[in-house]
Formats: sequence, structure tokens, C-alpha cells
Amino acid sequence: MESVTLSCIVSSLDSEQSSLAEGPSRFWRVFASTFITIFFAELGDKTQVTTLLISAESDSPWVVFLGAGAALVTTSLLGVWVGQWLARRVSPQTLDTAAGILLLVITLGLLWDIASL
Amino acid sequence: MDWNLLALSFAAVFVSELGDKSQLAAIALGGKSQSPQAVFFGTALALLLASFLGVVLGEGTAQILPERLVKGAAAVGFALLAVRLLWPSPRT
Repeated sequence: MESVTLSCIVSSLDSEQSSLAEGPSRFWRVFASTFITIFFAELGDKTQVTTLLISAESDSPWVVFLGAGAALVTTSLLGVWVGQWLARRVSPQTLDTAAGILLLVITLGLLWDIASL
Repeated sequence: MDWNLLALSFAAVFVSELGDKSQLAAIALGGKSQSPQAVFFGTALALLLASFLGVVLGEGTAQILPERLVKGAAAVGFALLAVRLLWPSPRT
């Protein structure tokens, strides 16, 4: 299952880089690579743990899910907004480098987590 | 509807997600991308699905999906996204 997922990420990244296509196909490639990466990052992470703890103590897990879901949509929206706001103030090269380094730091953090499991 | 519980869930998750890696990734990808909507929908749906599984499976998640494997897959995903940003773009 892992290899299928990884090849899916790789192919979605490759095709995005090699093509100048705009429109729906580009939308779905960005969507897929973002979705897959964030999904795995978030599985078993502290949001889930928080959700789990609250729902374990209550008889209405769907209310917990609704609250957690609303919060997650809000933080995603804030994140993209901040990114767009920065994009209007910083040169594309600087932004690419900073964003790449940020993602590398997250990668190292995850590897650190794995090593200390 | 239990409004206190709803507010508690919202506040707990909102605070724990602020500045977390998913939001940082959304900032990094959202600024660069020509399709910020795709980044938003991808991020939001991934987070919703992950917490949906948390509610449905509860503690079962860890048994079905070993944490090491899941975090490894996430690390590869972030590394690929980082390389794509840092690699000299063929378009320029």
C-alpha cells in the first residue's frame, strides 16, 4: 500500500513539474499531492489524539468531530491566506527557498519522530 | 446539540493546529501555488479524513496503521514537496 501511495505522489509531482497546463488537471495534481502528504502527516498526530481524548470522554463523538472539523478547515484557510499574503510581499525565489526549507525542516522533524519511536 | 462540547472540540483542535506542520505546509504550498484553492481543499479534506478516522476507529488506528510507516510516508511526501520547491524550476 505504501509503495502505491508513494508512486502516486511521485507521479503527481512529476507531471506537475513537466507540464505548463492550467485548469482542472493542474488543480487535481496540486490537490492530490497536498492531500496525500497532509493526510499521512496528520494520521496519528496530536490533533487525532486530542479528538480521541475528547470523544472517549463523551457520548457524542459526532459533535466532537464537527468541532474538530470546523477548527481544521479554519486553520487550513488561515494557512493558505498567510501564504498568499507572503507571496504578495516576498519575491518568488525567496518564497520558494523559504517554503522548501520549511518543508525540509518538517521532514527532518518527522524523521526524528520515527527515530525516537 | 451540546454546544459546550462543540466549542471545546473546536478550541482544543484549533489551538493545537496553529503553527503545526500541516498549517506550515499550507502556508508554504499556498504561497507558491497557482492553485491556492487546491491546496486549501487538499489540506482541509486530509485533516477532516484523518480526524474522521480518529473518531470512527478510536484507538484502533494505531493497530491498523503502524505509526512508523505512516510518519515515514508523510516524511517522503514532505521531502518531495520540498525538493520540488528548491529544485531550479525548468520554467524560468
